[in-house]
Amino acid sequence: MKPVTIFTSCFLLISTVSVLADPTKVDALLAKKNAQAEKPIAVAKGIDDLTFLRRASVDVIGRIPTAAEVAEFQKWPAAERRSKLVEKLLADPRYADRWTVFFSDILRIRSNATGGNAFLAYLHQELKQNRAWDKMSREMLSANGSSGKVPAVGLILGEEVDAMAMAAATSQMFLGVRMQCAQCHNHPFDVWKQKQFYELATYFGKTRRIENQFSRRVYTTEGSETTVLWPPERKKPPVRNPVAPKFPFELKEFTSVPQYVKRFEAKRAEEALAANGANEGKSLSALLDDVDPNAAFDKERGFGKSVALEAKAATQALDIEGDLYRQSLQRTELAEKVTSPYNRYFARNLVNRMWAELIGRGFYEPVDDFQDIVTHREALDHLSDEFVAGGYDIKGLIRLIMLTEAYSRGHLDPEIPLAERNVAEENFAAATSRRMVSEVLYDSIVVAGHLTDFKWPAGANVRTFTERIRVVDGVVEGGPAAAGPGNNPNMAPNMMARPMGGSGYDLEGQIALNFDELLKSELEKDLASMKMMSDAELQRQQQMAAMSQQNTTGPRRKYKYVEVERKVDDNPRFSSTMRMATPAPPAHFLRVFGQPARDSLANFREHNPSMRQQLMMLNGKATHEAARVGPMEPMHTLLGGDKQDITAAIELAYMEILTRKPDAEEMKFAREIVGTGKPALDGMADLRWALLNSNEFRYIP
Amino acid sequence: MNQGCLDYQMTRRRMLGLSSATLLGMPIAQMMARAGETQQAKAENVILFWNGGGMSHIDTWDPKPGRPVAGEFDPINTSADGIQISSIFPKLAKQMHHATLIRSIAGTNGAHGRASYQLQTSYNQSGNLVHPGIGSIVTHEKERLGDLPAFITISGNARRAGYLGQRCEAYYVGRPGEKDPYLAFPAGITQLRGNKRLDILAKMNVRNARNLSADQAKAVNTATEEAVNLMRSPALKAFELNGEDPKTVARYGDTEFGRGALLARRLVETGVRFVQVNRGGFDTHNNNFPAMQNHGDVMDPALASLVEDLAASGQLEKTMVIVLSEFGRTPRINNNAGRDHHARCFSCFMAGGGIKGGQVIGKSDEDAMLPAERPVNPNDLHASICHALGIDHSREVETPLGRPMRLISEGAKPVLELFG
Repeated sequence: MKPVTIFTSCFLLISTVSVLADPTKVDALLAKKNAQAEKPIAVAKGIDDLTFLRRASVDVIGRIPTAAEVAEFQKWPAAERRSKLVEKLLADPRYADRWTVFFSDILRIRSNATGGNAFLAYLHQELKQNRAWDKMSREMLSANGSSGKVPAVGLILGEEVDAMAMAAATSQMFLGVRMQCAQCHNHPFDVWKQKQFYELATYFGKTRRIENQFSRRVYTTEGSETTVLWPPERKKPPVRNPVAPKFPFELKEFTSVPQYVKRFEAKRAEEALAANGANEGKSLSALLDDVDPNAAFDKERGFGKSVALEAKAATQALDIEGDLYRQSLQRTELAEKVTSPYNRYFARNLVNRMWAELIGRGFYEPVDDFQDIVTHREALDHLSDEFVAGGYDIKGLIRLIMLTEAYSRGHLDPEIPLAERNVAEENFAAATSRRMVSEVLYDSIVVAGHLTDFKWPAGANVRTFTERIRVVDGVVEGGPAAAGPGNNPNMAPNMMARPMGGSGYDLEGQIALNFDELLKSELEKDLASMKMMSDAELQRQQQMAAMSQQNTTGPRRKYKYVEVERKVDDNPRFSSTMRMATPAPPAHFLRVFGQPARDSLANFREHNPSMRQQLMMLNGKATHEAARVGPMEPMHTLLGGDKQDITAAIELAYMEILTRKPDAEEMKFAREIVGTGKPALDGMADLRWALLNSNEFRYIP
Repeated sequence: MNQGCLDYQMTRRRMLGLSSATLLGMPIAQMMARAGETQQAKAENVILFWNGGGMSHIDTWDPKPGRPVAGEFDPINTSADGIQISSIFPKLAKQMHHATLIRSIAGTNGAHGRASYQLQTSYNQSGNLVHPGIGSIVTHEKERLGDLPAFITISGNARRAGYLGQRCEAYYVGRPGEKDPYLAFPAGITQLRGNKRLDILAKMNVRNARNLSADQAKAVNTATEEAVNLMRSPALKAFELNGEDPKTVARYGDTEFGRGALLARRLVETGVRFVQVNRGGFDTHNNNFPAMQNHGDVMDPALASLVEDLAASGQLEKTMVIVLSEFGRTPRINNNAGRDHHARCFSCFMAGGGIKGGQVIGKSDEDAMLPAERPVNPNDLHASICHALGIDHSREVETPLGRPMRLISEGAKPVLELFG
């Protein structure tokens, strides 16, 4: 790697072009727009440091801070507390967990879809490594193969490898534009024509879904003909012709390369150089991915014959599995257009979604329906430029937004008239009220209640409960043979009866997923190994499967229900809800609090309160167990024995649950609740239960 | 009426809240319900038995004696003149004077997923839109009666509410007879202490309402009130099968399905609009006959007792009972003594809610391969349910994207013969 030293200095020169994004510029642009308002807009005061700590922790790592984290934060010098906190949070392992939730909503990831879990694990890994959004997007839009080898193919598998669905998904997820109406008709209000939708869809028209007959493994590859034909079938035309691909979004024209693109290019060149040393052992395809495709962007020739593309195509021909997983040139071309720095839609889409997530509302709403009506255009454009210039750095974008004054605004006084407050919130001059998303709410209850680890000694919570189970009660005399369930899920009676099995509180239960294992094990079971299997072996497998189905038949049995007593040591410990199969089953806590089913586009989270939510909070196991004071948590010492200190205990409860101190009136009220018993465990449990159920807990401060 | 579901629903619920909180005493609500209803609407509630996997029609409602496709079950006479059903339903045979069989459903989907979607929503599955199940549609169109949720699904999940929104989703009962732990204070918390906690919470929420808008705070309060009302409601007794005479439980067959049917009866009697009872295991590619005999053993006492009890109490006039599956099974018996998927012709059982008893609608050909007379499309069934409840099935609602959608898919026509 000797040439590196030669080039370093010249890239250092270029890199001086890239300056760190400046949050005050964003605030200035917001203020500039707001100053034009006819009536002055009320501006809320900034929040204090503890409130910032709570807000930022909830937003970045998806849970409220612990008492220890509060103490650490308060020790930092006041002037740099906030920026230091943001850095710390962005480096926290929970960052990837929390933002996997956010991107899973956008990309509508479902564990039970084909390749769904691998896709989930892939996304998590990419976020952990802070991979650039344009690189991830290109990978997802162009991937072909099996989810074991190429987990990013989960996106197109999740859309059933359907060209029309992928066209709708591409525009909505990545560009913030709803084109799906145009699938069936020219949209009455939008500019999108049906033909344009077809031209976009045809990029995906050659991609095929293949299912191996024996292994049931699914992969995608390229066919030679597009399935997208014009005119649409419903018009019953005599002839339908293949549609030629055409990107419907205009790439912005500039007379000279704009500054933010220059900075972007410099950044990428710098990265490539830095990566050079580490390149040995990297796969060729990953290396090519690092090549900036936009460096070859040519207004005259367009993208079709770009250097990077040609290089890519040439190497892919060498791919040993070229036959199995043929790559899609068309989709690679599309991915490059979608993620081009000249495509304003791409950067703006994620910026607006991220802003909406962190601030409470977007510059345009709904966030997947850009109609050119933007509240603060200059601020949005500036953020988008910075996002591009920073190399589509997701963490960088989060950092930039969180260090604005807009992020640190408080809520306006409730006495101010509603209309005035609304105007302030719409203009980012006051905080919009946001409820924690379901995963965050649940994980916050767990951390506030010290449920991440056992807080009771073994045997302290032994419970006996009775359970009704079905048992064999003899054989029906002379009865015909019974059919066994075999391998067919539809054969099992009550197949849908117990989506979460076991005891009644399973609606808060979790099925933890190991993301690393998911990526690994899928890889091992991959199709490549199936291909090695001889035909004779396949035949034998088939016979075995047939035999095992017959073996399950036997004399017809009678069944009866009996009640059995079970003893369990119910010492609860909860792991993060962000590491479970997603979305949760329909009646699960997460779903009841708004986790979307992700079974269609524009399936946003619902934040409306409901009766069912209240039942689950008031009577649920998580809140109940979080409220109880366990002997192994710090609170216990403050409540019992010689060292009883009720005041300190109440302060700790407020800090652990609401991240603040109680005021005098609250302290007085809390003392009444906690009482003077020794130990005052029940009273404290009542107080904690109420704090956990309070509106203040559930809504972000 | 082009209102979004949520707003529409909220308004309705708010008006309900204003009118009264007591059981069945809701003048405004009833007025709303009457508006737009047709005169002949008799049904108030629906019990849908959803048999997942594709239930054989020949071995249940449409026997073909003497044909090679007949299989192992003989037809038996029923209480309805000239109507025979399979011998796996001896008890139900005595209730057939209450029921109508449709033997000419012309389905179009032969795959489980797409077919159960179509048979429960009336729509074909499409990539970019989730259509609501019939239970959610009824919940959307009819006001809630009493304290219990309007739509309850037992032993499995119902279709989602799709564009009708969270409020039209089913309330889930995992196992009939098992207590829902969320309807009472957690174990170890007495009534007294639980109520004390609620008081503390109420006081706390009055003080700290800064980080949410007044609207939101009010909505949380309303939800809390609803929750507490439900926890304290005498209507909850409907969920408890312990109170039932053990003889009754036995009569329904002490199986999960039997208890589900019994619970369904108690729920509709308490005002629940739509109850769906789920059962799987009908995908009998192998050994169809013993499997169907088992299903008969379980279903027969449950369905027979349910229809009998509803008829005896007069509730059957207001309650429509439907037994439905995503498709039927091939007349041809395969090499594994099983039957495969068959969508082009199958049957269903319907009773109550204004349905004329003791009749068969439509006819299949000699081997039950295709409808021979009066083909009925799947969405005609949903239109018929709407018709019975006084819901205009062609009414349009708007999806969150602003796209107008008919409640039931285009071209649906109620099967008017059902209602005599």
